[in-house]
Amino acid sequence: MSAPYRLEPQPGEVLDRSQPVRFRWDGREYDGLAGDTIVSALLASGVDCFSRSFKYSRPRGVLTASFVDPNCTVQVGDEPNVRAAHRRLAAGMDVRPQNAWPSLRYDARVVNSALARFLTAGFYYKTFMKPQRLWPVYASVLSRFASGGCTRPDAAHAYYDKRYAHADVVVAGAGPAGLAAAVAAARAGARVMLVEEEYDVGGHLRWGDPADLARLAELRAVLVAEPGIEVLTDSVVTGRYDDNWLAILQRGRPGGGERLVKTRAATLVVAAGLVERPYVFAGNDLPGVVLGTAVRRLVNLHAVRPGSRAVVFTANEEGEAAAADLQRVGVEVVRTVDARRGEGIARALGRRHVQGVELTDGWRHAVDLLVTSTGWTAPTSLLNMAGNRPVWDPTAARFRPGPELPDTVFATGGIVGDGTTDELVAHGQAVGEAAAARARGERPAPVPPLGVRPHPAMFRGPTHGFVDMSEDVTSKDIVAAAAEGYDSSELVKRFTTATMGPSQGKLEVVNTVAVLGEAVGRNMEQLGTTVWRPPYAPISLGALAGRIFEPVRRSPMHAWHEAHGATPLVAGQWIRPDSYGDPMAEASAVRRAVGIIDVTPLGKLELQGPDVPKLLNLVYVNKWSKLDVGSVRYGVMCAEDGVVFDDGVTGRLADEHYLMSTTSSGAAAVWEWLENWLQTEHADWQVHVTPLTTAYASINVAGPRSRELLARLVEGIDLSPEAFPYMRVRTGRIAGVENCLAWRIGFTGELSYEIHVPASYGLHVWETLLRTGDDLGVVAFGVEAQRILRLEKGHLIVGQDTDGLTKAFSAGLEGLVKLDKDDFAGRPELVWGSERLSDAPRLVALQPLDPHLVPAEGSQIVHDHSRIAGRVTSSRRSPELGRSICLAQVEPDLAAPGSVVTIVLPDGSRAEATVQPQLAHVDPEGSRLRG
Amino acid sequence: MTARKPARYSAFDLVRRGLTRRDWPRSWREHDLNSSYDVVVIGAGVHGLACAYYLAANHGITNVAVLDKGYLGGGGSGRNTAIIRSNYLTPEGVAFYDRSVKLYENLAAELNFNVMFEQRGHLTLAHNDSSLRTMRWRAEVNKLQGVNSEVIGPADIKRLVPYMDVSPESRYPILGALYHPPGGTIRHDAVNWGYARAADVLGVQIHQNTEVLGIDVVGDRVTGVRTNRGAVAAPIVVNCTAGWASLVSALAGVTLPITTYPLQAAVTEPVKTFLRTVVVSGTLHVYVSQTDRGELVFGASVDPYPSYSMRGSLEFTEELAGHVLELMPGIASLRVLRQWAGLCDMTPDYSPIMGVTPVDGFLLDVGWGTYGFKAGPVSGETMAELVATGKTPELIASFDLARFADGRLVGEKGAAAVGH
Amino acid sequence: MLLIPCPHCGPRNSSEFRYAGEGRRRPDVTAVMPPEWRSYLYERRNAAGWVRESWYHTFGCRRFFAVERDTVTNAVRPGSPA
Repeated sequence: MSAPYRLEPQPGEVLDRSQPVRFRWDGREYDGLAGDTIVSALLASGVDCFSRSFKYSRPRGVLTASFVDPNCTVQVGDEPNVRAAHRRLAAGMDVRPQNAWPSLRYDARVVNSALARFLTAGFYYKTFMKPQRLWPVYASVLSRFASGGCTRPDAAHAYYDKRYAHADVVVAGAGPAGLAAAVAAARAGARVMLVEEEYDVGGHLRWGDPADLARLAELRAVLVAEPGIEVLTDSVVTGRYDDNWLAILQRGRPGGGERLVKTRAATLVVAAGLVERPYVFAGNDLPGVVLGTAVRRLVNLHAVRPGSRAVVFTANEEGEAAAADLQRVGVEVVRTVDARRGEGIARALGRRHVQGVELTDGWRHAVDLLVTSTGWTAPTSLLNMAGNRPVWDPTAARFRPGPELPDTVFATGGIVGDGTTDELVAHGQAVGEAAAARARGERPAPVPPLGVRPHPAMFRGPTHGFVDMSEDVTSKDIVAAAAEGYDSSELVKRFTTATMGPSQGKLEVVNTVAVLGEAVGRNMEQLGTTVWRPPYAPISLGALAGRIFEPVRRSPMHAWHEAHGATPLVAGQWIRPDSYGDPMAEASAVRRAVGIIDVTPLGKLELQGPDVPKLLNLVYVNKWSKLDVGSVRYGVMCAEDGVVFDDGVTGRLADEHYLMSTTSSGAAAVWEWLENWLQTEHADWQVHVTPLTTAYASINVAGPRSRELLARLVEGIDLSPEAFPYMRVRTGRIAGVENCLAWRIGFTGELSYEIHVPASYGLHVWETLLRTGDDLGVVAFGVEAQRILRLEKGHLIVGQDTDGLTKAFSAGLEGLVKLDKDDFAGRPELVWGSERLSDAPRLVALQPLDPHLVPAEGSQIVHDHSRIAGRVTSSRRSPELGRSICLAQVEPDLAAPGSVVTIVLPDGSRAEATVQPQLAHVDPEGSRLRG
Repeated sequence: MTARKPARYSAFDLVRRGLTRRDWPRSWREHDLNSSYDVVVIGAGVHGLACAYYLAANHGITNVAVLDKGYLGGGGSGRNTAIIRSNYLTPEGVAFYDRSVKLYENLAAELNFNVMFEQRGHLTLAHNDSSLRTMRWRAEVNKLQGVNSEVIGPADIKRLVPYMDVSPESRYPILGALYHPPGGTIRHDAVNWGYARAADVLGVQIHQNTEVLGIDVVGDRVTGVRTNRGAVAAPIVVNCTAGWASLVSALAGVTLPITTYPLQAAVTEPVKTFLRTVVVSGTLHVYVSQTDRGELVFGASVDPYPSYSMRGSLEFTEELAGHVLELMPGIASLRVLRQWAGLCDMTPDYSPIMGVTPVDGFLLDVGWGTYGFKAGPVSGETMAELVATGKTPELIASFDLARFADGRLVGEKGAAAVGH
Repeated sequence: MLLIPCPHCGPRNSSEFRYAGEGRRRPDVTAVMPPEWRSYLYERRNAAGWVRESWYHTFGCRRFFAVERDTVTNAVRPGSPA
């Protein structure tokens, strides 16, 4: 299609006239030019409506022609909510309007406009109450009005990455002041990062007159010549967090992705400039009502003629410059209405586009363009995030940064004051030097402030209009809300949703507060502004997530497990074999012959030093003073509140050398726990802790023939029961590998040896065990078979058979707790707990009367039909007994052996089970274990 | 103190006022601060406002002042992610929150204010066998208490949330979920405003911008409070603050087992509705729901260190985004629009502190951690009963302050790691 | 992201550390009575303002050390030795 509104080449234009770009809008093909934004290309082609408003479905056109334009949000392919007044055109883009039904031109919801007087802000709080159960139905109708674009569950995943940058000084905003600050800081020796939201540096000079363009060329030349500056364009400092931790969003990366750049800046210079503020009057949202800066951008950067006949309403030089630009390119400016002369506009006329304007003096002009330049808003968001509260400056008629800035944050440019380009540059330069000095650790002298120019305070004309276009909130809504008691900036915001939309108040907040002030008779100083919250510019989940990095840990035998059909089990960071297909058979093989299981994730801490026994006595509830060299002991750890938090065995390898094992998930916490005691309570104790979890591959060899199997591989260790009895540890050669450890313990309840071999030999030892034991019937078994076996033996799992309140006394570990020790972690609670032991829940073994019934873990045990009196913590079918077996926590009066308890199953049915005399269902005497 | 005739809210009245263009009256009035009240409630959040409302509505006690240092509903009550559920772990917890859900179900009608309670269903995902076991435990406790909860599998989860990646290959595979159909979302501000308006109608005075600077205690009895607007005598003072509960209690000389942590939340730009249920993953420390406006609202666990700063952190949004995309990879192009933080008073057993203190007349409704909003109505109702009768209601008996000195902690900790 | 002044490694991002709580003194367990012990277990000053607290350098020197932090502004400075 042709471009009837495209101007002849303009001096500052960013277009490449040799490169047409074809794209689709709302199903039709259009042509733009390289350098166009989606909106400038459409405007040039004569399209003036880009969206329908959220609530009343009013047609909306360009307003600011920048990223914050509330009316130019579109869908591009799979990407929702694209800012079409910022996003550059790309060939083949499929651009669609977002909230129009059935079409942008004929939107059915436009009837809401007629109902506007009934649909005042917050109307939904006052209706749809009865019946309450129908609210979701109303809600689902209302949710069709949601103004955003569409997502797809299978949307293609762009490539996102993150970058850590190292900058001394970060300058947010590359207008004249920001440019000058960056150059000055770099010249003072700082590493500088200059971040600009637009596609090029220069700020407002880019759409200025020939003198501005000449000045920009000079500034740019200086910038380019300065080596210490990295310039990021189409990028935004989105957040300033504690201690100048900065988030920078880099947009428009190759492939379309966004990138999050993070840096700890020594100093931050905020040079975000000013945002032009819309004016509130009837019809202010019609297509054809645009801001002065928008006119200047469209004409000078994108060579678009925004209309044919215009009225310009101005209170400042920007409006005058816009009028001059319009006249220069042949737009007839029928009237410049100057607020400084007491003139004003009353309303814009028209239905789909501005057709006329009515002035306060009653004159009407037929126009298709109404330009307003009535004031500025300082986007102080980043300063806000640094703890600074903006203050209202009645002279400048805008909020300005408050006096208290952290000494690592500076501000320059329009955000702090007004000035000629030279004054802005001079201020920026001084601030840049100060920022560099501060980054070197010096205390720079204060920079003389930039002055402000008087500006009339203008927010609303004599009529009511839209205060927040993206939320469809009018000034009348604000007045009504205030009358209802929503009369502070925060309450009015929450009630009307003004400032809650996509631009987060950059255009809307000042007008909202001003209209509220009018309504409640308070001024801007009294009302203050709402808090600006990060991010300064919206940032995609993809950029925030980056390349999702969730590392996993695998044992040296992992590849073997995979090759042998193991079902993976995600256990925290570790991936473990759950089974190799038939856990029941694996468990039976262990009971019958011998099996091996990879227990590498088991936490292992090496303890060395003369005071290890003291440490063990302190952290375990049982006694450790008399552990002989070559012995191991099981221990339970409690926190200071007496709650069990980990368990494991510790062995004494040499006089002052111990190895402690912990649960897989508890390894890190236990290590920190030990360090805590050693560093903060007993700094005089000589103990050194070294984590060895992944230094060793760990294999448990379990079953009646485990000794026979191991004997074929072991050198230097006498495996006979007399020489190497239960609960002993030995070191030696296994399968030719030196420095291996074997301890005789048995979580499975069988004769078993846990061997720890240097990790790099893990696979070798594993395969050798299997090969060598083939004739013995050796199998590899997984975590599930181990769980069956340990449950048969009645060995508890901390965290499964205990919970966040289980103390050692109630966990079936009473026998271990040695209260006659002077001190150990949790002792006082356990002492007092032992005095009212009778109240504590007990861990018991249960067997359902129906041997085929395996109650789900978590099933509740009830007393007197419905009162909860316990729960099943572990439950499996036992291959050894051919029946179901459980562990359970029950109230003490149900815990007596032989008691029959009632279990409520998930389907609501009930089953009975008998409390067993001891926790072990299989081999309670322990003869297999100790054999 | 003075009641007033309320302006009814209804579709009919909306039309009538629209036609006559008459403004609605104030929802709550402004008052001078009196020199004494029968009851002073500190904190105009959902707990304080509900307490005042039920004092007036259920017990006829209307000489009540609710004091807040800021605007009403400006603390945790206006910063939470407005998720309502009763699928707790302990029988006490379930009974208590179930009562809250019941009150919420009828709240719009009772207060004549649409609080937009949508029982859209609540899913707590299990990514490993131990959390699946806890889900089963919770479901069984819930069912025995008459609360609708069930453990469901990946296929049912996919049906409820088509965007969810339930493939077994994912880093944290989804093994199942606790599905709680009565759970859902509510418009938090509407609850605060509805209680405030209804309490005002009954004569309760709400004083915004009124900061309690001191609490007067004579002997073992509270006698009143001192504020930035003057002193107020009162025989009963109820601390309904969150974030500042321990500091306010310290004014009365009562030390609490509380540590205050920021809890952050974030919201995206709106997109067309694609997520009806509330989704929670404890393993991935995230919960998410989509509002009627189309925004996704996210939350996570409390920050890793205590603070009274509410500025928020980047690492919160980074981790959140990573975890959300683990669950729903298709929404990577959705943009985060705003993040904020509220303050949570965490107790050692993840349960609140309600009831009497060693100071006679100084009552507590504090320690609400990350789950205070969902308990607003029932807390107000039970605290009002305590004030009116002098007896601690059974429903909150186990939440007493003395349990810490006595070593009788409540067992909710296991289920509340990400309690939403 | 706080910058934590580790006395052994220098300033590092707080993500390398674990917050280890308000500095507390452990009562003598042989003589302690329940009120004192449970106060040690559960009660905290929870002050708004400068506090002295303990951090653990999990991904660094693995030392516990004290820092001072203003819990209102999150300003951090090295803790004086206990």
